Amino acid sequence: MSEPEDLELEALQRQLDDAFETTRPRPGFEDELWTRMQARRPAGTRLRDAWLGLVQGIREVPAVPLAAVAGLLVVVLGAGVLVYSGVGRGGGAASIAQNRQAGAQPAALSSPGAFGQLPSPRFAAAPTGASAPGPVQSGTPSADYAGQVALTWTGKLDLTISTAPVFRYHEPSTNTADQFATALGAVLVSRPAGYLGSYQTTDFSVRVRGTVQSPAREPTYTVLPITSSASIDAAGGPVDVALVFLAERSLAPSWQYTSNVVVSGDVSQVLLDRQFGVTGYGYAYLVDGNGRRYGIEVDLNGMRPISATGPLTLSIDSAQYPIISADQAVRSALASTQVSAGAPGVPTATLTSAELVYSLVAAGDHSFYEPSILFSGTFTVNGTTYVKRVLVPAIDPTYRSS
Amino acid sequence: MVADRPPFEDLYRAYLGRIYAYVRAQVGTSADAEDITAQVFMNAYQAYARFEARNTTPAAWLFRIARNATLDHFRAHGRRERLRRTIEHQPVAEEDPSGVAEERIQYRALLARVAQLPERQREAISLRHSGLSFEEVGVLLKCTEDAAKMLYHRAVKALKEAVEEETA
Repeated sequence: MSEPEDLELEALQRQLDDAFETTRPRPGFEDELWTRMQARRPAGTRLRDAWLGLVQGIREVPAVPLAAVAGLLVVVLGAGVLVYSGVGRGGGAASIAQNRQAGAQPAALSSPGAFGQLPSPRFAAAPTGASAPGPVQSGTPSADYAGQVALTWTGKLDLTISTAPVFRYHEPSTNTADQFATALGAVLVSRPAGYLGSYQTTDFSVRVRGTVQSPAREPTYTVLPITSSASIDAAGGPVDVALVFLAERSLAPSWQYTSNVVVSGDVSQVLLDRQFGVTGYGYAYLVDGNGRRYGIEVDLNGMRPISATGPLTLSIDSAQYPIISADQAVRSALASTQVSAGAPGVPTATLTSAELVYSLVAAGDHSFYEPSILFSGTFTVNGTTYVKRVLVPAIDPTYRSS
Repeated sequence: MVADRPPFEDLYRAYLGRIYAYVRAQVGTSADAEDITAQVFMNAYQAYARFEARNTTPAAWLFRIARNATLDHFRAHGRRERLRRTIEHQPVAEEDPSGVAEERIQYRALLARVAQLPERQREAISLRHSGLSFEEVGVLLKCTEDAAKMLYHRAVKALKEAVEEETA
């Protein structure tokens, strides 16, 4: 074979490579076919897969079924400890706080600092311009007052612990999301941009997304009924309706929480605020970058659920880390503003309370729930009283990477 | 599930495009290619529990199913229909709404010419350019690795002559 002919054959082979590599089915075919394959599986196979998904979930979070069953029993019996909360979430809103115990415990790693250097929390930008990763101030409603605020501290912060757990989860894959959806009896419809998957049953659709970097938010699911869901008859009111809705779909929280209900007309927002157990302290709320508690939210129209959003159930492990002292926390909080109390034209917020909280630090393959100290107080401007919050990272700075 | 067996969805996502391209080079239309590709993965999904990674690679296993499904398709539609589809297959007649993918049209023309080669030559080119090794091609075509290489090189040469004849 002559050299020019060899070169021509090589060129043809390259064209063939390109032709085969660029010949692909039309967009959407891949997901359509996958959905068809899922739908055509025998009912027994789907049931088996759902069962395997459930068993997998039990392996990952050992206390989930007990927690779900316990939660359901409480709903059925109508027994629960109702504690009226004085803290509302919005103007004119009714608010109820309810404590429920759930026993899921993360796997603990024995050696302190076992996760290595930790990334620092990036709290929401402070109106006063304090820069992350330092303490952050936020007001409620912060949009109503964006000016500078001086700070004083009159409260008492008892931090009897010198270490606190840091919790870590591994970023879920599409397979994790698919297993979650399969356990709900939902089949994959598509993988929209920004989501791990979009799924559907005959009754509701489910979307699952991974960790959001900014503002940090853990992997979440959103359930939206497709057809108008039936009213749920639960004696305990909106919280129990929400819990029944979640429990029917194996979505009842496996963690400790308190509940709040925000009522606006026919719509009730049921908020199950997540807590983490801290030995020697008690339970610490999960808060966002503005210091606001969050967890699962179920929206109801009357007694009919219209949507539910919550964190994906993931395997979580924990490791103890040294934390700063109460004095250091107070100094950091007060240093978060550059104005002094008494400066002309600048209101002074009096911080009166402080508590240990957890905030999410998104960090790629693994993300962390890290402890912080949340200071709260109030200030008044032109007759309007505002709530001021200041978040201070609690991990000893020598254990932080940035 | 066997430890060395990946989740089926991983296989599906990894090989769907390659299987489709392989099938597309055998049949005349993208609609047929989609139908056969769907059948391939339906069959594979059902059979995956019996797949033994020790005996074969996932690629070879899937392409064997694809080859059988394509042959079934030809048998079901008859050789006359197959010939008609192959002869009628014109690259520009395919849907390409943008009309700008000239390169894609050239590739389709090339695949159409592949589809007109004798069966074994066509399969040797399609399997080889779908990413299979000569050893895997040989196993699928029931010949040795060396014979598969020979068959492939003859096929490429035949394809080159066909292209030259058409452009002459």
